[in-house]
Amino acid sequence: MIQTLRRVFLTILFLSASTPNIFASDAASGDEEPILDVMGTVADHDYFKVPGFINGGKIYLPRLILWEDASGAKRFSAALSTHSLIENSEFNDVDHLLVPPQGGHLLIDFSITSHLVYFWMGMILAVWLTVSMSKRYQKGIGSQVEPQGVLQNIFEILFVFIRDDVARANIDDHKADKYVPYFFTMFMGIAFMNLFGLFPWAATATADLTVTATLAVMTFFVTQFSGTKDYWGHIFWFPGVPTWVRAILTPVEILGVFTKPFALAIRLFANMLSGKIMIIAILGLIFIFADLFGPIGGYGISVVSVALTVVLYALKVFVGLLQAYIFTLLSAVFIGMAAEDHNHSEEHYHAEHSA
Amino acid sequence: MGLLAAGIGAGIVALGAGIGIGMIGKGATESIARQPEASGDIRGAMILTAAFIEGVALLGMVICILLALGIGS
Repeated sequence: MIQTLRRVFLTILFLSASTPNIFASDAASGDEEPILDVMGTVADHDYFKVPGFINGGKIYLPRLILWEDASGAKRFSAALSTHSLIENSEFNDVDHLLVPPQGGHLLIDFSITSHLVYFWMGMILAVWLTVSMSKRYQKGIGSQVEPQGVLQNIFEILFVFIRDDVARANIDDHKADKYVPYFFTMFMGIAFMNLFGLFPWAATATADLTVTATLAVMTFFVTQFSGTKDYWGHIFWFPGVPTWVRAILTPVEILGVFTKPFALAIRLFANMLSGKIMIIAILGLIFIFADLFGPIGGYGISVVSVALTVVLYALKVFVGLLQAYIFTLLSAVFIGMAAEDHNHSEEHYHAEHSA
Repeated sequence: MGLLAAGIGAGIVALGAGIGIGMIGKGATESIARQPEASGDIRGAMILTAAFIEGVALLGMVICILLALGIGS
């Protein structure tokens, strides 16, 4: 029962994580888009990009905004799109920023954005895959007979890989198995989000710092809650060193608690962002050459650019899976360090041999 | 000025990360040559360490992108 509740809670936590998007309101902008908008391609939007022949290529997403009016009362506005929010309520669009009416100011933007939609899609796919596969195992396919079908075989390879090489290799044996669902959800979710970014029109949710920070904060909390007495002891009162050294070590250790998830978030974010920008930059060479040397230069460089982009795409598939693995592996290493049981055998050894 | 800073910064970031990952590769290939049966463990440790260096390098790269785009100035 508690296990089921915990799973449900974890799933809700994953699905409710919001990516605030206070400033993006490019729906109301009338000016036409530039040919090559590097930051627009990687940035979060209030619309969901689809192939150009449906609804002009954009499906606008709901805006949910908590704001405070001039008298200090908290108000909540919701609309199906930024455009209808500006038309129906008294919100204004000032330099592409949403400004609430009558001297009010924004508190929290709960709007559903394109990156959040891809975040949900990745997590829902991960949950669906795991639940549907676990049903097959309960029926006996895989547990009594060998796994059947391509999907279940791939699933089993990945699951056993996460369990043996990530969880059990880094966390104490009797504790490792309870973290496997968390790691597997993390791995599949991030992998799906990374690979979604390879579709044309799609956005890479993990190329957004708010998404990766949300994931890293989850690892942070799991790490702290699984910390043993030894873990906290090593942070606040490092054993076996003179007291004056502890004055230096304690701040450094406390800092280390926060830098680990920070590095986790930055690593995933920067990897996915750089992959995206690299492809745009190489394709952008076509437009730069066409501008400099005319159409012939543009067509000439496009042969090189497109070939390079194909290679980069293959690399991005690899990097997407590798980064999902690295995020999960480092989460396991951090959790393993916190949940480790020290048996203090070394101290006994020293005591015996110095006596 | 921001563009110049971003260019120089990206160069230094690439230099540092290149030296670091090169040393990991050197160490890993040497130890695999010495002990081919431990290549699986060594490869795991190599990817883990490379990921740490890459994290720092990419932090520098993000700052260079912010500089180049003039965000925050």
